[in-house]
Formats: sequence, structure tokens, C-alpha cells
Amino acid sequence: MTDTLEHGGTRRSGTVPRTLGFVARKLGGAAVSLGLVAVLGFFLFRVLPGDPARTMTRSAPVSAEQLAQLRHRFGLDQPLYAQFRDFLGNLARGDLGTSYTYNRPVTELIGERLGPTVLLVGTATVLAVLLGLWLGTRAAWRHGTATDRWFTSVGLTLWSVPTFWLGLLLLMAFGVGVGPLPGLFPVAGMSSPDVPPGVLPRVLDVAHHMVLPCVTLVAVIHAQFMMVMRSSLLEEMGAEYLTTARAKGLRDDAVRRGHAVPNALLPTVTLVFLHLGMVVAGAITVETVFSWPGLGLLTYEALRVPDLPLLQGTFIVLASSVIVMNTLAELLYRVLDPRVRA
Amino acid sequence: MTSVLRLCDVSVDYATPAGPRRVVDRVNLDLDSGGTLGLAGESGCGKTTLALAVLRLLPRTARVRGRVLLNEQDVSQLTWGGLRAVRWAGASVVFQGAMHALNPVRTVFDQIAEPLRVHSVERPTVSALRERVRELLERVELPPERARAYPHELSGGQRQRVMIAMALACEPSLVIADEPTTALDVVVQAQVMDVLRRAVRERGAALLMISHDLSVLAGTCHRLAVMYRGAVVEQGETARLVTAPEHRHTRELAAAFPTVGDAGSRHVDGSAGSGGGGNVLLSARGVGVTFVDRSRTRTRAVRDVDLEVCADETVALVGQSGSGKTTLARTLLGLCRPDTGRVRYRGVEPGSSSGSLREFRRQVQLVAQDPTGALNPRHTVYEAVAEGLRIHRDVVGETERVRAALEAAELRPAADFVGRFPHELSGGQRQRVVIAGALVLEPAVLVADEPVASLDATVRGEILELLLELRRRRGLSVLVITHDLGLAWSIADRVAVMRAGELVEQGPVERVLTEPEHEYTRALLAAVPSLPRVVD
Repeated sequence: MTDTLEHGGTRRSGTVPRTLGFVARKLGGAAVSLGLVAVLGFFLFRVLPGDPARTMTRSAPVSAEQLAQLRHRFGLDQPLYAQFRDFLGNLARGDLGTSYTYNRPVTELIGERLGPTVLLVGTATVLAVLLGLWLGTRAAWRHGTATDRWFTSVGLTLWSVPTFWLGLLLLMAFGVGVGPLPGLFPVAGMSSPDVPPGVLPRVLDVAHHMVLPCVTLVAVIHAQFMMVMRSSLLEEMGAEYLTTARAKGLRDDAVRRGHAVPNALLPTVTLVFLHLGMVVAGAITVETVFSWPGLGLLTYEALRVPDLPLLQGTFIVLASSVIVMNTLAELLYRVLDPRVRA
Repeated sequence: MTSVLRLCDVSVDYATPAGPRRVVDRVNLDLDSGGTLGLAGESGCGKTTLALAVLRLLPRTARVRGRVLLNEQDVSQLTWGGLRAVRWAGASVVFQGAMHALNPVRTVFDQIAEPLRVHSVERPTVSALRERVRELLERVELPPERARAYPHELSGGQRQRVMIAMALACEPSLVIADEPTTALDVVVQAQVMDVLRRAVRERGAALLMISHDLSVLAGTCHRLAVMYRGAVVEQGETARLVTAPEHRHTRELAAAFPTVGDAGSRHVDGSAGSGGGGNVLLSARGVGVTFVDRSRTRTRAVRDVDLEVCADETVALVGQSGSGKTTLARTLLGLCRPDTGRVRYRGVEPGSSSGSLREFRRQVQLVAQDPTGALNPRHTVYEAVAEGLRIHRDVVGETERVRAALEAAELRPAADFVGRFPHELSGGQRQRVVIAGALVLEPAVLVADEPVASLDATVRGEILELLLELRRRRGLSVLVITHDLGLAWSIADRVAVMRAGELVEQGPVERVLTEPEHEYTRALLAAVPSLPRVVD
């Protein structure tokens, strides 16, 4: 009776091929996006006004022959399609061209700046995500109370503060020192020249340098994770399955941790991964204020010239990392939310 | 006999900005161990609030007065720890609409095992939990491998079975079932009620069952209590209460669910139903619709259906959920393309020219199932009704026509309603606004998809009366899609029975519903809960 009259049971068969198909589709989509990024990266920096050869030689008077020689060296005298062909060929070998200003391979430049940036911005993003989600959960669970109002208003105030201003303020208060307060943290760079040898002292030294820029970043960006988590959890709080969980005799915090938060976290996954993708971009303002030798500072310097191969390189690296992280988010979402798997 | 639940003068007030609002008013109820008590009433009468008050599950704005004795223990005196211990182990709840009452991201096993973990002194082993969950699923007649499923992978009936298995997990002495079968169709409802009844009886638990449907309660409970505006207006033995109700509201509740085969609840003159001999307005010939889902599985939602709606006729399309009724209706409305066959309006295929499609859409109007979802919350009643005219760029005398449509839908005086927003209206009024929105275009056919499924017992009668009235006065033809055979019995001339995409039987209501030819029609009729006719 049950089988014939009650429809809507599941077909579990075919779950594995469907998952494989899904993964293949997502990876294929990501590959297409990466290809478009490469094309866009090439043409975007070719349509910009200005002659690269002139930019390179702005500081010194040069003859027409020297200019022609420069153009030839950088391949700028070739027709556009030939340049594009060479660009794609080089890209496939991991060669992003040569920087005008540094006169070194872009890949090498980006490579040595990547570490410091991922260290600083990565740490700050992870801390901001954890802090934001935790505060957002607390605020929503006690929504309407003083706790909620306090967290929300502090978070929003910090979010609206200009990053460089907050950075400079912290730099002055804790780096330089105000009045009787001595400078507690270094003001620039990521390491001191006079560090005793050994791994531990060097790690501590870098950590010491990282405190101020990291605090600045966390203070500014945690609010968005908090607000998204808060509204997402508020939406879940009216849900009937929470009444079920309470009726089962669960403690309030078990209801929150075991039932409400796992559902409320789902909408934050995309946001968090987009931010992790942006980590590579560095934080231009913070890195500049604290002279942190990362990709943000490199981009800032490249923009001032402008150093086209370097900008093109950072553009491609950044865009690719966002695409990769976004793809990861979509794959992870499928693991976290059984409804997407159906 | 020991008392499982005793309510002494229980009142519940909600704090609102305008002062306390009383939702439950001095209720006294008694339920002995192993007993069954049905609590009937419309939505908003306070029955769910009363049920939640038993386990102190109400929001903080609620204030409970009086004494709630669960197993002779005053619930309001318990500490939080004591309360948690009583929850689910002393009394458990089968909530309404198990789609939302189950956590969407956790498996059935997790959710059934959770109260077992919480309420055992020693931490139970995983294999012991598996064994127990398997046993519980067996008791509600679900295959044990369903333990691995997530709620969205189950049908409505299966979810409700999971909910029942969960409620029985800790062997409570009381199970509170709050509208356990409301969203389910008749056949599944009958199966789920059967499982609930048996499972509760086997374990010797007492059952407090809440419903707006007196006939469902009458089939399960030995005693009934009727609630109206927060107070219990009548209670007693089921047999006495349904045969000789004393309170007016009990009679209203009983009358709201017409009995199939009872001449008193049939509101149309059978001779009017010409059974296809009249002037055919809307017709489907050999219509088939196939869906292809993401895994490329082809589902034939509608197969080779022939159906006609004639002038001045009400046709009921009945069947279980998932039988393809709504797909067929969407096809008849031109919202869905048939793969095979033809839909014609007055002999013409809509869509053969753009003008004919527009004219067709005017003539055949839809009344959707859920009026709350069908109305834009930011549009006033006026805008909601006038929208159809605006879409058809037919704005001459708009104000006057909107007013006429509202009055035709019995929202009188229309001036009182035009400026209101949906949230300022009751459920019945909202459905009238939806109907007015369809009437304003002066259609010839109304397609009503479960027009009263989301409405209260007494309001339901009014809306059905309105549909009958529209037909009497305007000669409007209506195609009613419903899983409710009582509804078909009370207002339709002809009925078409659908199963798995096919029409298995159609003909005049009197013939099909009293002498069904197809076994499926007989199975449907057998599943309808029936109430001994209430004497006036």
C-alpha cells in the first residue's frame, strides 16, 4: 500500500556519477573563467593609453633608436596577434613577462611578495572570519539586547572608518608611542635587521611586526562577517526545527551549536571564500601604511609608474585566486548542504 | 488510572505593545495514562499555544497562569534542568508540517538518536543507537535504510513518520500531536494516522491530538474538547460530542467537512451537470506533459488526458499530491506546454496567434492555493485587483470595475478594503481578494487550485459558498483542483479522478463518488475520515 500510493521516495542510485558530473562541470567552468582572465589581462593592459617605452624612459632623455630598441626587447614592435600568441605561450610556461621598473621576471617578483602577503592578510582574514562569525552568533542569539547593539555598532563603526586612518592612528599610538607610552610595536617592515639567529627569535620578530597591521585589518573587515552571520542566524531563529530541538530537552547552547549555527553558516560560506580569494590581492592601504613587503605594496608601486607587465601579472594572479576559491566554495557547499546534492 | 496531564485554569497571555493579549483562557483538561484526547479548533484559537505551554516551549513574551501538571508534577515549578529532563522523556511532540520541524542538514538517524543521547544516563554506544533507531523506524513502517536520508529526500508522509518515530524514542508517557497530518493528502493521512494510533497504543502512551478537522480527531480519540477563542467551549466523549453537539461552534466545525454521500451537504443540483453535453468552453484532448529533471530522469506528469469544462459547470479534479493535477491545470491555463495533445478554448487553440493567447488568458483565470503567497505584500488590495486590468491595458473605468469585482467577491463595502495591505486582512479575506483579482477581467472559466486548503474550517465554507454563488449569478464555470473528496461532493457537478498522471475515472459526482467503478476511486473514498452526521 505504502509503495503504490505514496509517491516521492528517493532514487539514491546515480548519486556518484552525478557528483562526478557536478565536479567536472564546476572545474570546467573554472577553467573557462581562467582562460577569459588571461585574455582580458592581455587586452585590458594593451588598450590603456600611453606608450610603455616612453614610460620606461621618463627619467632620462633617449634617442629614437634607443626607444625602438626598447620596444623590440619587450616585443612591443610586433603586431598585436603575435604579441598575444607569445603572451599565451609564455603564460603556459609560467612566464608573466619582465617588469619595466625592476627589470626582473614578474613571476619572480610576485613569488617573493606572495609569502608576506598571504601571511599577513591570510592571518587577518582567518581571524576576522572567526571573530565575525562568533560575534554575529552571539549578537543574533541575544538579539535586541545590549550585547547585540554593542557588537553591531562597534563593528559598523570600525567598518566605516577609513583603513589608512585607523592604521596611522594605531601606528602613532602603539608604534611611535604617545606621551609616556613607549612604542610597543615596530613601525615598518616585517623583520628587524638585528635579530639573533635561530628559528624561534625570527618567528617572534615577524609576529611582533605583524601585530599592528593585522589588528587594523581585523578591526575593519570583521564587521561584514558578523552582519551576514547575524542576519542569517536571525532568519533561522524562527525555524520550527529549533522548537523541536528544545522540546527534545537540549540545552540552549546545544540547540544553537547543533542546530541553528550549522544552518546559518551556509550563506556565509560563499562570502568567506570570496575573501580568501582576495587575500592574494594584499591590502594595498595597510601594506603601504606599515611598509609591509607584500603584493599590495608591489601593486601600489607598479601603479605609480605604471609598470604594465607587473600590473598584468598581479591582475592574473589575483583573478585566478578568486576563481579557484570560488570553485572551492561551490564544491564545499555541496558537502555542507545535503539539499544541493539532490 | 493515573493522570498524565492535568491543566487547571490555564491561561496564556502574550505581551504586545498594546498590552497583554489573552490567547488561552482558563482551560481545564484531564488526560489519564493511555487515554486519547482530541483538541479541535480553528487556527488562532489557542490550541497550539496550549500544547506548547505543556513543555514550556512558548516565547518569552508569553505568560502562563494556572497549573500544568505533567505526570503529577507542576511544570511551572521545575528548574531548567528538571524541565529539560521532562522534555521528550515525559512528553514529546509531533509537530505540524514535518518539513520545517526537522533540521534540513542532519540525517534522520542523527535526529532520532539525539533525544536518546540527551536523555540517557550513560553515553549509549553507536551500535546501540543504530539498533534502537532501526527498531523505531520499523515501528512507523519505514525501511531501516531511511535512517541515512536527509529530510528533503523524504515524502511528506515519510517525514511525518520520522517525526512519530522521534517522538516515541524515549518512551514518553504523553505524545502531543499538533496537526500531524494537515499538509498530507487523504490516503497518506490515513496511513500516518494509522501508524500514530498503533504506535501510541502499543507503548501505552497517552495521546493529545490537535486538529482543525473534527473527523480526523473522531477516528482516533475517545474524548474531544472544542476550543474557540482561547476557551474550551465543549468537551466530552467523542460519540456524544459528534452526535449531539451542544455548542454552536462544534456544529460549525462538524459542518465544515461535508460527508461524501450525504445529500444534506451537497450544494448543487445534480441535474445541472450535463456531463459534457453542454457548450464546451475549455477542453484537453490527449494531453501529455513530460518533465526531465537534472539527473535526466523523465517523469511523465500527465499522460493522455481528455477533460472538458462546459459552460455553467463546476468540475472537480481530484487525486493525491503528486498525481499531476497541478501540472494539468497549468497546462489548461497555457502556463505549461503539452508535449502531446491539444488544449482548446471554445474550439480554438490558444497561442495560434498572439491576440488569441491574450484573449484566452483573460477568459481563463487562476485562483492559487495559498492567498498569502499569491498577493504581493507591498501592494494594496486595489493594486492587487487592478493589476490584471493593467496587464491587459484595459483601464477604462478601472476604479469602478475594481469596486464591482471586490463586491462580487463579497468584500463589502469595497471602499473599506481598497486601501488595505494583505497583512491587514484575514486568510479568508485574502482569498476573496485573489478571487476578485480573477473576476475583474470577467473570465468565463475559473481554475481554482486547492482554493480552501490553507483556510480555516468555517472560512472554508464561506469561500465555497462564494464559488457557488458566482456560478449561480454569473454562470461562471469552475475547475476545482483538490485532494478533498468532501469538497468535490459539496460543490461540483462532475468529478475527474487522477492517479499518476492519468484520469482513471470521470463522470457526474453522484455516480462516481457513490458507485465508484475504478478501484483507485474506491481506495480514495475509503481513506476519507468520516464523521457520523451531526444532528441539528
